[in-house]
Order: sequence, then C-alpha cells, then structure tokens
Amino acid sequence: MHKEATIREPLVLGHKTYHQVTEDVCKPIEGKAPKTWYILFAIAAIIGVYGVGCILYLLGTGIGTWGLNKTINWAWDITNFVWWVGIGHAGTLISAVLLLFRQKWRMAINRSAEAMTIFAVFMAGLFPLIHMGRIWVAYWVMPLPNQFGSLWPNFNSPLLWDVFAISTYLSVSLVFWYIGLIPDFATIRDRAKKPVAKKIYSMLSFGWSGRAKQWSRFEMVSLVLAGLATPLVFSVHSIVSFDFATSVIPGWHTTIFPPYFVAGAVFSGFAMVQTLMLVMRKAYNLEAYIHTKHIEYMNIVIMATGSIVGTAYITELFISWYSGVEYEAYAFINRATGPYWWAYWAMMTCNVVSPQLMWFKKLRTSLTFTFIIAIVVNIGMWFERFVIIGTTLHRDYLPSSWSMFYPTHIDIGIFVGTIGLFFVFFLLFTRYFPVLALNEVKTILKSSGQSYKDGTAKTPAFSIEEQHLADVKVKPSITKETIASAVQEETKTVPVQKKVDPITDPVIDPALAKIVTSLGSTDATKKDDLKELTGLDAITEDKLNKIGILTFSQIANIDPTADLALLTAYLGNAGSQANLLVWKMEAEEKLKNDNN
Amino acid sequence: MAMSKKYWKGLEELNQTPEFIENRDQEFSQDISIDEFLADEKLSESSTPRRDFLKFLGFSVAAATIAACEAPVTKAIPYVNKPVDVTPGVATWYASTYYDGNSYANILVKTREGRPIYIKGNKDFGFTNGNVTPQIIASVLSLYNEARLQYAFKDGQGVSTADADSEIIAELNKIKSKGGKVVLVSNTLASPSSYKAVEELERSVTGRVVPKSTSVVTEDENGVIGKVVDKVKGVFNKEELAVAAAVTSGSATGAQFEHIQYDSVSYAGIRKANELSFGKSVIPDYDFSKAKTIVSFGADFLSTWLMSTQYTGQYAKRRNPDGDWMNKHYQIESNMSITGSNADVRLMIKPSEEAGLLAALVKDLGGSINGVSSSIPERIGADNVRKMAKDLMKGNGLVVSASNNVAIQVLVNKANHLIGAYNTTINLNNPVQMFASEDDKMMKLVADVLAGKGPDAVFFYGVNPVYSAPNGVALADALGNTTLTVSLSGVMDETATKCKFVVPDHHALESWNDFSPKANEYSLAQPTIRPLYDTVSALESFLVWSGKAERDGKDSKVYFNYIKENWTNTGFADASNFDTFWNTTIHNSVFSKTMASPSSPSFNDGALSKVAKQLPEAGELEVVLYQKAAIGRGDQAANPWLQETPDPITKVTWDNYITMNPTIMKDQGYNEHIDQEHGCTLASITVGDVTYELPVYPSPGQAPGTVGIALGYGRGEGNANIGKAAFQTKEYGGLVTDENGNPKPIGKNAFRMIQTAGGTMEYTAAATIENKNINYPIATTQIHRTVMARNSIVRETTLDTYLNHSKDAYNPAWTLQKIDEHGHHVEAPLAEFDLWDAHPVENVGHRWGMTIDLSSCIGCGSCLVACQAENNVPVVGKDEVRRGREMHWIRIDRYYASNDEATVGQRKDKDNFTYKELEIAAENPKVVHQPMMCHHCNHAPCETVCPVSATTHSNEGLNQMVYNRCIGTRYCANNCPYKVRRFNWFNYPSYKKFGEVNPAQDDLGRMVLNPDVTVRTRGVMEKCSFCVQRIQDGKLTAKKDGRPVVDGDVTTACGDACPTNAIIVGDWNDVNSNVRKSADNKRSYQALEEIGVKPNMWYKVKVRNEENDILAGIQLAKEHAGDHAEKEEKSH
Repeated sequence: MHKEATIREPLVLGHKTYHQVTEDVCKPIEGKAPKTWYILFAIAAIIGVYGVGCILYLLGTGIGTWGLNKTINWAWDITNFVWWVGIGHAGTLISAVLLLFRQKWRMAINRSAEAMTIFAVFMAGLFPLIHMGRIWVAYWVMPLPNQFGSLWPNFNSPLLWDVFAISTYLSVSLVFWYIGLIPDFATIRDRAKKPVAKKIYSMLSFGWSGRAKQWSRFEMVSLVLAGLATPLVFSVHSIVSFDFATSVIPGWHTTIFPPYFVAGAVFSGFAMVQTLMLVMRKAYNLEAYIHTKHIEYMNIVIMATGSIVGTAYITELFISWYSGVEYEAYAFINRATGPYWWAYWAMMTCNVVSPQLMWFKKLRTSLTFTFIIAIVVNIGMWFERFVIIGTTLHRDYLPSSWSMFYPTHIDIGIFVGTIGLFFVFFLLFTRYFPVLALNEVKTILKSSGQSYKDGTAKTPAFSIEEQHLADVKVKPSITKETIASAVQEETKTVPVQKKVDPITDPVIDPALAKIVTSLGSTDATKKDDLKELTGLDAITEDKLNKIGILTFSQIANIDPTADLALLTAYLGNAGSQANLLVWKMEAEEKLKNDNN
Repeated sequence: MAMSKKYWKGLEELNQTPEFIENRDQEFSQDISIDEFLADEKLSESSTPRRDFLKFLGFSVAAATIAACEAPVTKAIPYVNKPVDVTPGVATWYASTYYDGNSYANILVKTREGRPIYIKGNKDFGFTNGNVTPQIIASVLSLYNEARLQYAFKDGQGVSTADADSEIIAELNKIKSKGGKVVLVSNTLASPSSYKAVEELERSVTGRVVPKSTSVVTEDENGVIGKVVDKVKGVFNKEELAVAAAVTSGSATGAQFEHIQYDSVSYAGIRKANELSFGKSVIPDYDFSKAKTIVSFGADFLSTWLMSTQYTGQYAKRRNPDGDWMNKHYQIESNMSITGSNADVRLMIKPSEEAGLLAALVKDLGGSINGVSSSIPERIGADNVRKMAKDLMKGNGLVVSASNNVAIQVLVNKANHLIGAYNTTINLNNPVQMFASEDDKMMKLVADVLAGKGPDAVFFYGVNPVYSAPNGVALADALGNTTLTVSLSGVMDETATKCKFVVPDHHALESWNDFSPKANEYSLAQPTIRPLYDTVSALESFLVWSGKAERDGKDSKVYFNYIKENWTNTGFADASNFDTFWNTTIHNSVFSKTMASPSSPSFNDGALSKVAKQLPEAGELEVVLYQKAAIGRGDQAANPWLQETPDPITKVTWDNYITMNPTIMKDQGYNEHIDQEHGCTLASITVGDVTYELPVYPSPGQAPGTVGIALGYGRGEGNANIGKAAFQTKEYGGLVTDENGNPKPIGKNAFRMIQTAGGTMEYTAAATIENKNINYPIATTQIHRTVMARNSIVRETTLDTYLNHSKDAYNPAWTLQKIDEHGHHVEAPLAEFDLWDAHPVENVGHRWGMTIDLSSCIGCGSCLVACQAENNVPVVGKDEVRRGREMHWIRIDRYYASNDEATVGQRKDKDNFTYKELEIAAENPKVVHQPMMCHHCNHAPCETVCPVSATTHSNEGLNQMVYNRCIGTRYCANNCPYKVRRFNWFNYPSYKKFGEVNPAQDDLGRMVLNPDVTVRTRGVMEKCSFCVQRIQDGKLTAKKDGRPVVDGDVTTACGDACPTNAIIVGDWNDVNSNVRKSADNKRSYQALEEIGVKPNMWYKVKVRNEENDILAGIQLAKEHAGDHAEKEEKSH
C-alpha cells in the first residue's frame, strides 16, 4: 500500500472509517434534500428556463436578436463559449493530469470537478451551435457523406477543428467520469432501499460486483483514459485559441495564444471548482474530505496559472509594441485606453493582480478570501474573453467600420440562462450522484487519513464494534454499562501507551481542554443522559464524556461563534457543527423545562 | 370432322357422376338460407361488424372522392406568339429619359420579362453621358410603390376616370361660362409637347392662347437663338412661333387661364440675375470641362445643383491628374457638401458673408461694385481671395453660387464677366430650359387662395405645394374653398389629399413624354411597362379635358400620337425622312441640335443697385437648407433605397437633422460621439415662426455660426399616403403613429423654413437654437470619422508632387527583406512573399479585377444604389442601420483628416502624435471618399476559416459566396480585413420588422427584384460578388460573338453607375484591358497590401490640386532619403 510521510498534512480529516466515508457521501443521495437545495434548484431552474426561452426566441427570429453588427460578428456568444470551455478545463486536468502525477488530493474533488467539466462543456457547446445563422444545417460541419457529391467540410478551418476538439473532449471526459462513477453507483445500489432507485442505480452501475478483477480493470481503464485525456487538456483550448490565432485580425493573430489560453482555462477552471467546492463542502458536511489543504493546493494552481496568464498579457503588450506593426500596436493601445478600457482593466485586475495575493499563506488558506478570489477570477476570465473578442473586433483595420457592441437582453438572458442551466445540472448531480469519488477516497484513507497518520485510528477501521455502533442508533444489547466499562478500559490504556494524542487525550490537548473548560465545570455525579439529544449516539456520548462534557448545561453553553473545529474534528462524523448547534438548542430547551 | 375436342374440369364431369349433375347448376355448393345465415350466433362475434363495414365503406367513398379532386395546378403558359422583345431570361433595354422637375438624365431601362428592374445612364447618347444620380437609379422602385393610386378619386372616394373626366369638364364649362379663372400649377415642364398640351387646355378655357415668356420681362429680344426661351416651348423655331401667335386669335370666352411653373427648389435667382445683368432671363449652360479654375459658393454641382448629371462628368474629366490639365477647385460654403468634400481648397463661410466676399473677389478681379461693400471674413483671409482671383484671371475660370438671392447671383455674373467666363465656360446662348420656377407668381397664387381671392379651379401637376411651399399648411386648409381642385399626382400626397379630384398620372416609366432640357437638346421618354393600374397620362388628361382627345383605355396611344404629331408638325417636318428620324430618336432617346456658341454680352452695371438691398440677413446663427444626394426634394421620400442610402458626408440614413461643427457642439453641450446607443442631442431650432425639434449631428467642416438642415423630409404629413417607407417604423415593425393615429413622417419638413423675401425663395435664414438635452437615436453607417493616419488604406498627394516626383514619394511600394543566393539581405517587393500556394489565376483564363480612382470618386452614392438594385440587397430600416447592420454590398467610407494629419492618411509627425488627437476630425477637414466592397482577395482570409467551404475562390479570381452552403458562423466576416461581408441577421424578405421598409416584402415591391440574383435567406452571409451574373452574361455575349471578352463586355453595377468613371472593371489577365493598365498605373496601390491577402482591387492615389507644404515635405523626404529608414522599418 502507498505510504505517505506523516509530515504531509492528512487529506482526510478526523477519524473516518470506510463506512463513514460511504455514509458521508451517500447521505445526500439517500436522505431528504434540505430546503436550501430546493430553493437553489428552483432559482437555477427559473433562470435556466428563461435562458432556454431566449434561445428559442433567438432560433425563431434570427441572430439579429443579439447585439452583433457588421463589424462585431462575435461577442457574447463566443465569449461565453470560450469561458465555459475554459471552466471545463479544470475537471479533466484534475482527473487526468493529476492522476498521472499521483496527486492524491485530487480524489476529493475530481468527481465534482469532472461533473462541472461536463456541464460546462454542455454550456460551451451550446454557443457554437446557437450562434450559427442556420442551426438546422449545423451537421454540415461534420464530415458526413452527403448528396452534394464529394463536398467535405473545410479542413483548413479552425472552427472545424473546434468541432472535433470539443466533441472529443466532451466524449472522453464523459467516459472518464462515468467509469469512475461505476463502483460508486454500485455502492449506492447496494445500499438503496427503494426499488426504483435500486433499479436505476443497478443499471447505472453496469453490474459492478467489486471483484478484484474488476478493480484491476478499473485501474487500467482509468490510467488509459487519463493518458488519453491529458493531451486533450492542452489540445482543446489550443484549438479554441486557433479560432482567433489563425485569423488576420490584429489582436487575434498571435502565436502566444495556445499556451496562454490553456493556462487561462486551467486558471478559470480551478476558480470555478473553488467556487463550487466551497459551497458544496459546507452544504454536504464534507469538510473532512475537502479541507483547507485542498483549497490551498487549488489556490496554488490558480496562483501559478494566473501568473502565466499575466505574463502572457504583458508579453502580448510588449510584442505589439516591438513588432512595429501599426495595427497590432493600436489594437493593444485601444484595449487599454480605448472605449473598452474598463473591460481591459477589469481583466487585468481580476486575473493578474488578484491571484498574486495567494502568495500569502494566510490568504490562500482563508476560505472566505478564496471564495471571493474565485468569483473575481471567473469574472476576470469572462472579461478576458470579451476583451479578446469584442475589443479586438470593434476596431480593426478600417476605421470606417469601427463600431461598439451593446448586448441585448437576449444576449444577457442566454448567458445568465446557461449559468442557470449549469446549476440545474450541478444541483441534480449533487442530489443523485456521489459527489465524492467514495471508493477512491477509501484508497487513500489509510495512507492520508488523519487518524491513520497519527496512529490513533482503531484498527481495524471496520471493526465490528464500530461498524455496529455507528450504524445502529441504540442497540439494546449494548447498554450504558458495557460502554462505560469499555471506556474505562480504554482510558486505562492511555497512559500505558505513552502516546501523545491531541484529540483523544483531553488531558494533554490544551486547546480542546480549553473549549471544555469554557463550557463550565461539572462533576461526574451530575452526568445527564446525553443520548436524549437528537442524533447523539452512544459513541459520541462516550467521546463527549471522555473529554469531560457530561451535562446538558455544558452543551447549552457551547458558543456557536467560537472555533469549534477541534471539537467537531474530535467528534468526527456525528459531531458536525450543525449537530452541535442542534444539541445546544435542545439542551437549552431541556434545562428550561427542568427549571420550570 | 365435327369438333371432337372436349375439355372437362375433372373426372366427375367426364364421368357425369350424379353428384356432379346435382351440383352443376347450383351457384353455391352448399345451400344456406339467408335466415339461417343471419341467425348464426357466431356472426355477431365476427371481427368485422356491420358498423365497421359501413365505416370502411364510408372511408372508401370519401377517399375515392378526395382522390378524385384535382390538386391546383399552377400553369406556366407559353406564348402562342412570343412578343418580339421579351425572351425569358434575357433582359431588354430601352433608351429613355429621366426628368422629375429637378434632375435630368438620358437613361437606359432594363426590363426583365416585361418588368423594369434597373435604370442606368445612357453612355452612348445624350449630353449627360451616362451620368445618373442615386435618385434616378432608385426611381425604378417608385414604380412599385404600393401607395401608388390605382384609379381616380373624388373627395377621397374612388371613381372611374370617365366619371372624373365628365365632372371636371362640367366644372370647367361652368367656370368658362361665368368667366372664372383656371390655374395650372406644374413643375417646370421642359417638354415641348407638354407645353402644347397645356396650351390646348388654355385654349379650351379661354378660347385663345397668349404666348408668354417665362418670367417677368423679356421684352428686349433681339432674335438671338438662345433668346427663344419663352414658355411656348411647344414650338421649335421662329416660324412656329408665328404659328403659335396665329392661334392667339380666336373667340375669347372671357375666362382666364394661368400656367404657373413652380419648382419646390427654385433657381429663379439665377434667371432674374441674368435678366438684370444681361437682359436674358435664362439659366446658362455651364461647362465644367472647360473650367480650369472653379470657384463655387456653396453650389453642390456634383450632387444636386442644377444639371449635376452634366457637371459631374465634365468635372471628373478634369480631375484626372494624368490628363492634359487638372482643374483647381475652390469651394466656399457653409455646409460640408459633396462638392466641397472634393474641393482642392475648401473655405467656410456664413451665408450672410457671401455677398461681401464676392464683392471682395470682384474687386481683386479688377471690377468695381456699387451697393455692396466688400468684406473678407477672418476665416477666409484676404490671401485666399487673392489666390482665387489670381487663378480665375488665368482664364477659363468659372464662378458659381448656390444662392437663390438675385444680388448674389448678379455679383457672380459680374465676377464671371470680369474673367471672361461668358466666352468659355458659360454659354448664355444655349440656356437650360429647366428650373423655370416662377416663385413670385406662386407666392401670389398661394396668397390669393389664402385670402379667398383664389381662382375657381386649380390643377396641380408634378407639384406638391402643400408640402413644399413655405406656407403649405395654410394653403392646405384654404384649398377647400376653391371650387375645383384637381391633382394629377400618382400618390395621395399632401396636396392630393386636399384636392377634390385626383386623376393619377402614370409613373414616368409607364408613359411617353418629350423633353428639351437645354435649347439644343431634345429627348424622348418611352414607356417600359404597360400601366400597372387604371392611371392615365396627365398630359392625355389635359387633352381630354380640353376636348381634344378621347380616352383610349390602358393601351392608349393618345399622347404618343400627340408627341409624334407635334414633332412632325413643328420641329422636324422638313426632316428628309421623318420616320427614320423618329425611330432613331426613340432608339437613342435623344436628338441634339447644334449648340449656339457662347458669346459675351455686355454686363449691365446698374443691375446690382436694384437688388442690393435684398441681401441675406445676417444672424448669430444662420441655417442653410440643402438637398441630400439621395432624398433631394423629397419626391421619393417613400423610396426605401434612397432613405437607406447614407448621406455621402454624414453617413446618416433615414433622418434629417441639424448639421453643426463638432467643435461648436462640444462647447454647447451637444453629444458629438454618436454610436448605436448614444444618439444625437435634440435641439429646438427656430426660423421665423417655424420651430422644429431636430437632432444635432456633428459635421466637421460646417462653418461655425451656421447649421444645415436637409430638405425633403417630413413627407406624409396630414394623413398623406405616399408609401410606407416615408414614415417612422417601430422596433418590431409597424408604423409609429401620432396621437391622431396618423403615421409619423421621418424627419421635419424644412421647406417651411424657406424665406420668401425679394420675390425668390431663399434657402438661408437667421435662426436661433436651443439645446433640449434629449437623446435621440440616429442611424449612421460610420461612427468613426478619421482614418487614424493609416497610410496603407488611403493615400493622397498634391498635384505638384505627383507630376514632378517619383512614385516613391507618394505611393511607396511595400518591401520585405529576404536573403538572396549570396546570403545578402536584399529588399524585395511584397508580392514575392507568399505563405500559401498561389491560386493559379495569373495568366490563366480570366482574372476579374477592379480599380477605383480616389481622385475621381466624388462619393455621390450612385454605385451604392445601383448595387442595391442590381443585387436585391435588402433594406433594413433605421433601427437596424443604427445597430450597424446595413446590408449594402458597397459602402463609401468617408474619412476626415485630423489635426495631426497633413492630409487624410498621412501623419504630420511620425513620432509626435496621440491616438486621441487622431480620432478627432479637424474643424475644416480634408475629405476622402473611398468606396469599399469585397476585394476578392486571392488569399482570402474569409475562405480559409469557413468550416463548410461556403466561400470559395473561383478560377477567375473571384471570391464566391455559396449561400445555400453557408451555415452562418460569421467567422468570415470577422476575419475580413475590409469588413465588407454582410450577414442576414433576420429573414429580411418576411420578418415583420421589415414589412414597412423592405420592398421584397410586398407583392408589388418584389417586382423590382433582379431574377438573376438570389434573394438571400436568414442566417447566411452575403457580400459583393463583382456582379458575377453580369460577368457570366458578358462572357456569354463574347462567346456568342465568337471573340474573346473585351472591355465593356463585363461591368459591375457600381462601375456602370459611376458618373465619374472612377470604377473600372475588367479582366486583369488581359494585358490590354483598361483595368490592367489602370492597376499598373503608378498611382495604383492595394489597400492593406502588407497583410498579404492579395486582393483583386486597386485604389489609385488621390491627387489634390493644392498647396500643401507639410504633405509635400513628408512625401519628398521619403523619396530623397531613399527610404532606407522607412523600408527598414517595414521589413520588420
């Protein structure tokens, strides 16, 4: 098995067992969706439906419903296309490139990043289709045999390369994603209780049985697909950049475009992953799996690619001056000082300045800051594409044709609509698909799991005892007494071990002790039955008791605003912050009743 | 032997078994009684119950019935006898004449399957030499205006022509019997037979004819030929004058008849001035081809002033720097006009300063003036006046002025007299017979009608005074009091709606007419289509109403016979063979007599004193009313092609507006950065008692202290129905209506601002203006004004540099460095460098090419309208033009010079400039017009990027657009360096938004479509095809004749229409062709040559006959330095 140095930060926090991993990932699928999910879904669906309406109007009436004109024949349509394709880049990079480089931290994020990729590519693919004047003959871009004799598409055209690049990318990403999902679907299938769900998941899981042979093939296929997908990461955005680079238009006709577009794509893709992950880990209590370290890693990628992009911007500027070409020089002067200066400087600020702040560890490990920067980068990258497309076209060779672009409400509606549709897809994904690659996470649990790293994990992780206790709320055969004796036994063994354990040993961990003391003192005689609180099982009660939390009053004293990370980490799965709050409120209720 | 052969069905029959015998005669082998059958229990269980059977039966019957119905069959019925001149697929051309009361041209009308679809100038015959204006080209569309009246009207109700006739005749008889007065108001007819027909009417009313002269007095006729310019132009010579005089005798009825000629834009000032100066009330024949120095005071003689169709060609002939000599053109004007934009020296002036400046000029020319004090405005400078005078004195000078003020025209005459122009460039003896507007009579008539003292009957023919008279609104109300009002208008225009009777005239393309635009010129107009509706020739109506003729239905030849008879009886009775003469004249459409040669009459120095008091009033702000090239006087305001034609200077479509110098606008808080969303600022402008709110549009070169407003807008007021395109349209189609539900006209009627002091209409006035600070969206096709000193787009030089220096000075070639076989870096022409395999077009078959001479192009816009007509280019309306989506395949880029440029496209200082400054046009900038269309690049950027190969290269060098392959990705348009590709953003032929503007949307308008060119569908790209249909046609013609294609076989619509022959088209591979010679000319360059797209288009450096030391300095430096530094720079 893969071994990892203890000095490396763990990738799975807390004492997660295999079962808990399964539980954590399957909970959103099996349980009822929270209210917020419905609200978000409704909002996304409304926006999406509005976008679809705009698209239908566009298709029914003509491209003139957009704000394009004789000079600016592409604007928001292709901007959005490139933006979405760029966003779609992170997924494959994470799943393929990082797989090849054995970056284990990708396990936590690859599933949803890939899903994001696929949905983003859906959104991206929509634009080249609907931007066509005659979408009903869109299939002519395919090299199909036809009734026109030997009439082929024009293999010289970068738009044609785009068709191949995007469709290949989409299909490989889709297959890669799906292959990864098969074992996870099987897990869900095995746990599913409702017949319909069971039927569907069993179809989706392709009869996965988890045999060693299957796992072996699974690994092989993943590796092969990663090998296939890796060049695609570079090819797709290179080819997208050819849409511009092969033209004669000053500002587009640039050899720097392919690498710069790829870097930009990874940049924006990671920003989008950050945006989604930060929300998702909160919403689905996945803090143990996607924690600060993951966020930090991604921030480093953002910082690196952001710097590449910034260098490219400066290089472009330099070359435009150094070339001595009148049109080239003016194109860039115009970007920076012309009527669209604000777009240029928005791009510069968002994409060049903001990622540089990630050099500060404090900032790149701050979740709030990361979230803000991720949004800023996404805005910046949209502007980058608009600057490249819109402000290049609006003033090219002949000043007589210079023009300005003003979006119509259809332009805006379709763009916003795709964001809505994207979230519709993504929200559905989080409801019905395992958002973490649970079987993959399990593979790194023992090498990178926190408790395995520091050696506090109970071995074996899936001991019957823990499985049962975790699984069953209150088992009649396990009484308080048996637990208490077990606890006593365990506590007795602690000094013998002579091992420093910051979490399980309240005496030694001063931080945890401090939290406990802040809850007020008590003595063992006043011990309440904490299991009366919703979702507080015997194990958790045992853990709480161990660190000296014995009474309702102590729980009622929990300060929700304080940093409870240590406590939640200690309590593991059952003791999420949300649960703590629920317990606190219930405890307060109980105390009030008692006083009455 | 008897038949022994016997066949049997089986052994049973052979053996005749008892069973066989028993069954033999039974139809059914088993005997089942019907009762038994029906009683069968199982029958009800059978799967086909009786009801089903009935259903099947019913269905079968219905199906059989329906199948028996015949599908409607659309039949194409072949001719039994094919008309001689109609061959499907082959165009028939008719020579004819265009005259609308304002412009005149000898034209050719192209008809396809009996429909006129295209008008071009007749280059072979006629003094206009094939020159046309946008209005003339577009007039074919007005034939298909759906607002044309289809029958006669009485009080707004349709009546038959016969009923209208009888009622009108009855009314006329009543007037005759009571000795009333009949007035015919017409435009200047300039038509011998029409004058005669009017006479018939006069004779029937009054019983006699009084020959009258055109204007107030021409008593002192000395018998000079040119003098016979009186109104009895129905006759051709003096003998006939005697005949006419004879008919004056007769029994008078006591009734009065008056024929008033009234043009909405009047040149009466010139006639009056000539009368005062020389005693001849004429408009002389100007010859710009003889003028070595032209000094024009606001006269837009290249576009709308007098006989611009004649002057343009004459002028262009002398703008060729390779010709014998090049004229020098000074333009002193308030508005930036087309003519001013082409001038060598353009100066800005307020209208009130013109007289003083002219007086100063006269003084410099050595003359003396009484009554007008000379003063030179500071902006002009005495230096410039002296230069002008010096140039004029060299001989063959010509001074013209647009002013309709008599005093100013007298001053002009004085100047011309001093420089001897009357012997050279001005011919008083061959006067123009057009523009005979009797402003004073018209004003009196209107005053009479308003005062209730008006005539008993008024006929309006070819005029629309309710619209065009300054007090037309009052006239409209007063007309109701007149007993008989008859309009002969073809549409329900502003005047017709106020008339009791409307007897619609044919469209000009449906009727015969003759004209005599100048004393020595005669021409015929012939119908090119059978009348579409129950309209009648107006002149036939005159004959009918005067009892001289009977109506003869749709195919009436009454008026044709009348013209022929007139020509036989008067002018050409003595022609040796009249029939041959007549047929030749119809074929050519023209006949010219020898022109009287010019002679210098004596100038009456007392002339000025009579009129000097009537000089234009000075004001802090003066407004100058002008005609736009496309809309002109507004006659064709409902013509969507013209409405969509960008103004050659401002590039604005679908509106009139106040033009103001942007430097002034900045100070006064008007928005001068116009684009799709940032429109103009509305201002309220007051002239006299007329106040309009109009947008203020920046027009560099507009004299400070003046503003310009175009005439011809605001048509269709008062519920007049002149055609949908004259009205404002809503964003999603339909007309904008006012509070009364009437459609709102486009623009404001500036005719109301005309001042009528001194017996002539004045087109300048003092005004006050107030900024309203309201944003008004405006549709312009070009929002950027300068070329940003991009020398590879526009090149210009001075005549001196051009004549005396090498090509390196003014037209440097692009070179790149390469390494030769010895390893040295050497300069090589750009053409040697190629990333691509060249298309095998050079010296293989044809290679169609085009050259455009920027020296000749005046920016008139004729090419644009011709292209629109030829290629079925859709009209998209104001909202779409505002959004930058006009569909024109050819556009004329207009560039102003900025203060940082020595001239358009030439930076003053290579290192010291700012882009911001380059964006701002100078206060009085130099202007270049550059027609721009598909360059048919041999390395076309559009071709490589199309994913479906919808745009490809032909083996004749053409860049072809395959509409039905196009999927509309628009990459080609993005990648076009010239931005000439046009996308079908909507379904223009059917989307409701374009219902009011696109002629292809109604059944009638569709008739103008050229069947040789596809009407494009939504979502495809289109662009200039080099008129590939004409190229094919030209090749076929040559093939049929069994010869190679030669010059003239292949033309494009734009080249055909160009009045200055700036556009030359042909086979570049033919080394003897005009286009090859032109392309090899030392002035030729290719726009954006350095990007290597290798276009099949060449421009030729514009040469201005001016002193421009800065420009000359820059260009000579280039030449002398051997251009080392320059070349070095380029090679990077």
